[in-house]
Amino acid sequence: MPDTFFDPHQRGTVAAAMARIIPTDDTPGATEAGCIDFLDRYLSGLGYIYAKPDGSGFEVLEGRSAEAWHRRIETMRQTYVEGLRDLDARARAGHGYDFVDLAADRQDDILRAIAAAEGAAGPALQQTLTEVDLGFLPLLVMHTRQGFYADPIYGGNQGQVGWKTIGFPGPASLAEVHTGRYTTLQYFAPGEAEKVKEFHHGL
Amino acid sequence: MASKPKPQKTDVVIIGAGASGAAAAKVLCEAGVNVVALEKGPWRKKESFGGDELANINRYNLWPDPILNPRTWRESEADAARTELFCPVPQMVGGGTVHWQGWLPRFTENDFRLRTVAGDVPGTSLADWPISYDDLEPYYLKVEWAFGVSGRAGANRFESRRSGDYPCPPMPMSRYAAKFHQGCAALGWNAFPTPQAALSRPFNGRRATVVSAFAQQHGDPTGTRSSALNVFVPDALATGKYDLRPDCYVRELALDGRGRIKSAVYQDADGDTIEQEADLFILACGAVETARLMLLSKSGRFPKGLANDSDLVGRNVTFHEYSAAVGTFEDPVYAWAGGGYVSASTFQHYEHDPSRGFVSGGHIAVAGVGIPLPINWRMPGTPSWGAAAKRVDRDYFNHSLAVAMALHDMPQHGNRIDLDDEVTDDWGLPVARVTLKPHRNDLDQGRYLIDRAADILEAGSAKTIQKVYADRVTGNCSHQHGTARMGNDPDTSVLDKWCRAHAVDNLYVVDGSPFPTGTGANPTLTIMANAWRVADEIVARRGAPK
Repeated sequence: MPDTFFDPHQRGTVAAAMARIIPTDDTPGATEAGCIDFLDRYLSGLGYIYAKPDGSGFEVLEGRSAEAWHRRIETMRQTYVEGLRDLDARARAGHGYDFVDLAADRQDDILRAIAAAEGAAGPALQQTLTEVDLGFLPLLVMHTRQGFYADPIYGGNQGQVGWKTIGFPGPASLAEVHTGRYTTLQYFAPGEAEKVKEFHHGL
Repeated sequence: MASKPKPQKTDVVIIGAGASGAAAAKVLCEAGVNVVALEKGPWRKKESFGGDELANINRYNLWPDPILNPRTWRESEADAARTELFCPVPQMVGGGTVHWQGWLPRFTENDFRLRTVAGDVPGTSLADWPISYDDLEPYYLKVEWAFGVSGRAGANRFESRRSGDYPCPPMPMSRYAAKFHQGCAALGWNAFPTPQAALSRPFNGRRATVVSAFAQQHGDPTGTRSSALNVFVPDALATGKYDLRPDCYVRELALDGRGRIKSAVYQDADGDTIEQEADLFILACGAVETARLMLLSKSGRFPKGLANDSDLVGRNVTFHEYSAAVGTFEDPVYAWAGGGYVSASTFQHYEHDPSRGFVSGGHIAVAGVGIPLPINWRMPGTPSWGAAAKRVDRDYFNHSLAVAMALHDMPQHGNRIDLDDEVTDDWGLPVARVTLKPHRNDLDQGRYLIDRAADILEAGSAKTIQKVYADRVTGNCSHQHGTARMGNDPDTSVLDKWCRAHAVDNLYVVDGSPFPTGTGANPTLTIMANAWRVADEIVARRGAPK
């Protein structure tokens, strides 16, 4: 099963853009989390859509669901290929180099210009967004975020650096949640976990 | 392909195995009635659920896939409809209760007679319910005890009469709930622990609910949360009377020569078309899909759709709208703990008060910001990328919460579900088209409730407060009601007070469709209580089990 979709230049360009979307400062960013690995895997086919809930691998998609995901991945691949071409076109027109070879502040300028043209997706307070409706930059922003914060089984958030950066005490693995060992009672109001300790394992 | 034998006729067919369909099935089966349940979606077992934010929130693991199950929305009949995932609900055994956190407040007495309380409101089709709070009260208690709801009787000062306590004490106090209580106390407002479909301690042979962060919009791999899947379905199966058939998509209800329903025609997992006959049929697909199925079931007797002589099927649809004021705090509130919805509530602004200049009010409660998990958490109005966005995540992920409300949108004749004339689903059937424009009252009420939410944040010593007013109704909390109103007059309602169709005497509807008004509270407790009431009546009319 292939693990990648992008060619080396595309991959480098996406990684560079991701590094501007979640930059590295005194804490890790998209680069350290491996956001590019997350996205390259996602777009590689149907092999990495749903992790098995016990963390033992990935589900095999079948039937209508497989067909829908095939269409969705195809649409997003196209959005990326066109968006990356546009990124380089803007970089060359403005500065004479490909996007990946520009300094960070110039990369930021280009991304800002695209954001101004495309508009950014606003946060949904409750509902999920429909991925295929997103333009290149909102899609890349969303996938960078997912690569930074999704369970490490998907290839990003390596070493849980995304979770550590914001202080989320996520489970050691999906299996911790699946077996019911993972609990957040200790983050309730002081003294609350103690009161119900007898009813819960792992406290 | 060899054709399958036609299945044997049964007593009752229930279409849908979610909150209402499974509740009705439990009651009927326990009374000795044979039930065939036809559920469009899969029958997922608890082992198939997990703590995976990406799969559950972002990749349609539980939400309907919008490529397979699109819907369309337009503001008015003059507009072109556009494809939009309007008010989705998981389509599977257990329905929306599979991924909920289960806030289960009761409606109040006045919810059943808002037309009388508020009078005529121009542009709305406000109506009293044909039943009262007292009619439902015993059934509220039955559902609360079946589910082991955790709450405290009497804590909600605005609750109407209750005939018994909650079976379990409230869930532990989250830090975000503590902030809410503090704010309400400072304002002199009543606040109470939100009654929840979870076990704060072992109950009825079940262990206490695991308090994971992956709860809201996640299935529960431990099976310890209370849901139709974990409670009503096993109860019904235990009788041996419940023939639950997943992956069976009903396309039409077919009539006999006398205008009664003869059979449900469905496609099974193999793609074969099957006809299931029964004495009686119960719709429990959710208010949008129930209306759609009725409208799909056209016949010589009902050219506009089943039981639709009045042209009311699909009309008066209401959805609530979820929005919030978001606050940040100096100390951590960990608003993802327990999934972000182990909560505190107030009904202080729930009842109608004419001095406010709009009708009715709503339930205000505390929660995490959106889905308060790393990927989907977002502070409204902040940049989505770059150094500033990262700083917001780092500074506020553990220090923010939402005081949220579900606004009580008014029923309007022009707001409706009908069949889209262009878009079809993956099975080739026309999808539900939502025509919906908020009433001035909805927006005014929403602003008022968000302002009160901000008051609570301020009194609870929030550092910053941001109000997110609802300027559109998008169906973002999955609540849906009103598409087949119950009432006493066949000219103004689709169903009678027992939720039986005026025009078809072997057709019942038990989801949110019968609700004449949406009220300002989470509807599923009332949906299940009403389904139980209707099922009891069906049993009584059938007489003793054969």
